[in-house]
Amino acid sequence: MYLACTDFSVTELNKRLWTVKKRVTLTFPKRSVHMPVTYRLAKDFNVAANIIRAQVAPNQIGTLVVELSGDIDQLDAAMDWMRSQDIGISLASREILIDEEVCVHCGLCTGICPTEALSLDPQTFRLNFTRSRCIVCEQCVPTCPVQAISTNL
Amino acid sequence: MRTVNEINHKIKQQQAVVWTVEELKARVKEVGVTQAAKEVDVVTTGTFEPMESSGAVLNLGHTDPPIKIRQCWMDGVLAYSGFGAVDLYLGATQMTEYSSMGELADADERDSRSRNAVRDRGGGHVIADLIAGKPVHLRAIGQVTDCYSRASLETTITRETINQFYLYNPRNVYQNFIVGVNGGDRPLFTYLGPLQPQLANAVYSNPGAVSPLLNDPDLKLIGIGTRVFLGGGEGYVAWEGTQHFPLQKRLPNRTPIGPAATLALIGDAKQMSPRWVKGCYFKSYGPSIMIGVGIPLPVLNEEVVVRCAVQDQDLVAPVVDFSIPRRVRPTFGLVSYAQLKTGRLTIDGKSVRVAPLASIFLSRQVALELKQWIEAGKFTLTEPVAPIPMDRTFLAQDQLGAQVSLE
Repeated sequence: MYLACTDFSVTELNKRLWTVKKRVTLTFPKRSVHMPVTYRLAKDFNVAANIIRAQVAPNQIGTLVVELSGDIDQLDAAMDWMRSQDIGISLASREILIDEEVCVHCGLCTGICPTEALSLDPQTFRLNFTRSRCIVCEQCVPTCPVQAISTNL
Repeated sequence: MRTVNEINHKIKQQQAVVWTVEELKARVKEVGVTQAAKEVDVVTTGTFEPMESSGAVLNLGHTDPPIKIRQCWMDGVLAYSGFGAVDLYLGATQMTEYSSMGELADADERDSRSRNAVRDRGGGHVIADLIAGKPVHLRAIGQVTDCYSRASLETTITRETINQFYLYNPRNVYQNFIVGVNGGDRPLFTYLGPLQPQLANAVYSNPGAVSPLLNDPDLKLIGIGTRVFLGGGEGYVAWEGTQHFPLQKRLPNRTPIGPAATLALIGDAKQMSPRWVKGCYFKSYGPSIMIGVGIPLPVLNEEVVVRCAVQDQDLVAPVVDFSIPRRVRPTFGLVSYAQLKTGRLTIDGKSVRVAPLASIFLSRQVALELKQWIEAGKFTLTEPVAPIPMDRTFLAQDQLGAQVSLE
């Protein structure tokens, strides 16, 4: 599979009336791993695929967590096409949830978060979570000493 | 300049001037020590951090027929019962025993998520649950004697249905601590949380300049009998803490360069609040408890203000490599708390992410809450009944003599 982090023409897409974003988990059978999926999504459907997380190896089932954005009809068509290629699509993708009631703002999670999605405010020392940076690696979940962090699945 | 009595008189009339120690530090920068010392009567400090050498004393009240408890579990956590018949001590780091949980453990085998939620618990969680007013399951085995005829007991307790429920914490409020890193090649799961290999992260556990004992480095104001904020209630300094090591090397500002003084604290857990006492769990290390502790410092003279004016850039901690599992571990030198709080640290030319383990946000909130108590006339200061010894050495436990006899 050709992994291109396509971040192009988002502003152009946003001009359209029905631009939507969907975070999905794609599961590739072994034989689809060679297919340049993100390229086809962009070229054939004008759908931008921002790769959040990927696990792909030759001759193995691959999984890809992507945020797809594009016209609502074209997005549906793109997903129909992927299904026709035997690519599994799960709409319920994992997300990190932080329970504000439980969090004590100790900041232990900020040291292991690889993308700095979790950080402490330099003035207040309260925990900040920048969801757009999160790659859902889930390392913070067992690190949190008060179990304030979980995934939604 | 002022006596504790004079300050208490002002507190009772709600006329005392009380600042958090951070407010004092800021004021000293503006007007200097002499002027600040004239303006303020009391300075409040605070910390909110894991304090694993903590636990609760409980007296259940006698059942009919009565029982002399010899073994006891609360929500599956073993409590010490080797004293009076229904007296118990529940330690914060005691792990939940699943064999003692019977049906619950079996049911959870089917549901890994709730199983983990139960597995990752211990004494600290049970103490925090009792403080939060939650019911706790209790199972006890007794020794039948002529005085105590009952052989076993199974019941549910809450903090309202037991006589005494107080925390007695043998080691709290460490005066400074260390910064943990891992120079090895495999992840380590420590009491400072996960330390990733090849110096990928660092963790420090003292909140720095807001922390109580860094603002009274020689314990001139704090002693046995000092009234403190403990877990949202009133507590007292009971004794020097375990591993109390006042002879640690010190900077010219008298603050220690590593772990030093500690305090044993005692306080009525029935007054405490779940906001300030939380059970916690460190992956692959075990359960513990996080407690908010605040200590007020009376501004008796300018010297008090000089010590309280210490800033994060004036405080240091040693960077310790946990990859060598020995009592004395190699260090990478000292780092200032100002540097630690930037979230980055340089070790051997490598930039390392550093995270706190004490909640700096909640440490400040403790200092603020204590300030409000004093301003409202609800909390008065105490003079120590006796000083904390400042000449204790730090003994190690070495096995003496040959362990295997050759004869």
